[in-house]
Amino acid sequence: MDDAAMVGLMGRVTGTIGPGLVGEVIVRVRGGAEHFLAYPASGTDRIERGTVVMVVEYLPPRTVYVQAAYDS
Amino acid sequence: MPMVVGVVAGVAVAAIAVLIGLFKLMWRVAEPNEALIISGSNHRTEGLEAGMGFRIVTGRGTLVLPGVQAVRKLSLDLNETELHVDCVTHQGIPLKVRGVVIFKVGDDFVSIANAGRRFLDQQKLMSERVHNVFAGHLRSIVGGLTVEDMIRDREKLTGQTRAACGTEMEKLGLIVDSLQIHEIEDPTGYIQNLAMPHAAAVQRDARIAQAEANRLATEAEQQSFARMAQATRDSEILQAGYQAERDKAGAKARQAGPLADAAARQEVVVQETRVAELEAHRREQQLQADVRKPADAKAYEKRTLAEAERDARISGAEAKARETELAAAAEATRVKTAASAEAEATKARGTAVAASTRATGEAEAAAAQARGLAEAAAAKAKGLAEAEAIKARAAALAENQEAVVAQQLAENWPEIVKAGASAFGNVDNMVVLNGADGMADMLAKALTMGGTGLGLARQLLASMNQNGQSPNGTSLNGVTVPPPAQKVPVQE
Repeated sequence: MDDAAMVGLMGRVTGTIGPGLVGEVIVRVRGGAEHFLAYPASGTDRIERGTVVMVVEYLPPRTVYVQAAYDS
Repeated sequence: MPMVVGVVAGVAVAAIAVLIGLFKLMWRVAEPNEALIISGSNHRTEGLEAGMGFRIVTGRGTLVLPGVQAVRKLSLDLNETELHVDCVTHQGIPLKVRGVVIFKVGDDFVSIANAGRRFLDQQKLMSERVHNVFAGHLRSIVGGLTVEDMIRDREKLTGQTRAACGTEMEKLGLIVDSLQIHEIEDPTGYIQNLAMPHAAAVQRDARIAQAEANRLATEAEQQSFARMAQATRDSEILQAGYQAERDKAGAKARQAGPLADAAARQEVVVQETRVAELEAHRREQQLQADVRKPADAKAYEKRTLAEAERDARISGAEAKARETELAAAAEATRVKTAASAEAEATKARGTAVAASTRATGEAEAAAAQARGLAEAAAAKAKGLAEAEAIKARAAALAENQEAVVAQQLAENWPEIVKAGASAFGNVDNMVVLNGADGMADMLAKALTMGGTGLGLARQLLASMNQNGQSPNGTSLNGVTVPPPAQKVPVQE
């Protein structure tokens, strides 16, 4: 499993993501579900809890940049 | 031969056993909750970039060369750390926060590598380290929150926790599964006071609800009771009505016989009454005829007789009165006549008496005249004689005056004394200051004055003569007083 495997995974926001906030997403990975600290991929988005997001960038060890999976 | 076979077989078995033992020594399996960190060989750097100097095996077995490679296990189990932190909130309220942090080593190789480098020999101390990190961070987190936020806004708390600790724990290769605040000790009572209005409101609502429920229940109960009472009443009324009807019918049935008897008796009584009435009527009529009419007649008779008697008596009385009146008039006439006759008689008798009195008086007057003349002659003679005597006494006085006077005094001494005493006779009360001697003295003076003065003696004598002769009825000048007229009794 390499870094590239993380990118493109779908996840769910469990802590609100936004500028000035440290969000949290839970992503299915390595046969389980792990949570990662999440930041918005585009700087000003605010993503509420429960939103389905897609990982667009992974910064090891536990940080991802995400964007909303579906246009709301 | 068989022995050779047996030896060969035994050797083979031993060799196999040895091989198995060697394999067991070299083959290590990572359990699901641990990661094997194998260092000492550079030829396989699975899962990590070059230059790491060790490899990480999770979830499977791997061959390790004993003595060449070192195998260490890093537990991926959950750890927890109790937190006891004295904090001050954003409002400056001191709090004691007790919580628990649940964390584990991250599952990715980067986290395992980070954690392995930091904690491999201090896995027992991991909790302490994390406690230190979190104690500091929790102070800053609580300092950025208010009590209300901590109590109510868990999202904010976890957000702040992530913001403060997430990256830091990332450095340590740890992930925080949970941060839980178990207890917030509040020495100033802030939270309690905060809760109080709500508690009071809740209590109020509860009481209101309770009271409302009680009221509704009571209403329902009372309505139920009322309906029960109503039903009971209706039932009892109906029962009583039926009972009354039954009783009535029973009584009627029971009384039917007596009632018939009574009706029959009533008929009888009515008839008897009628008979009695008729009887009484007849008797009354009879009485009217037998008693009342005769009585009335008798009464009428008596009344008439009494009236007649009364009238007769009145007539008699009137006649008697008339008789008496006439008798009185006759008597009066008789008395008057008698009185006038008496008056005439009296008059005649008075006249007769007057005539006799006059005759008597004239006779007495003549007698008195004759007697007066005789007395006058006697007095003349006496006077002449006295005059002769006085003349003789005067002659004697002329000769011996003193002796005569003395003689005279001596003769008339009792008279003198009487006169002197009579001077005091008219005195009602005389107070003599020097007693009996004074009295004698006064009398002596009065009497001796006669001795000293002849004039006084004469005066005394004159007064003595006046006083001494007054009881005889003759005054000094000798006029006789006619005797009182004699009353002629008139006969009534």
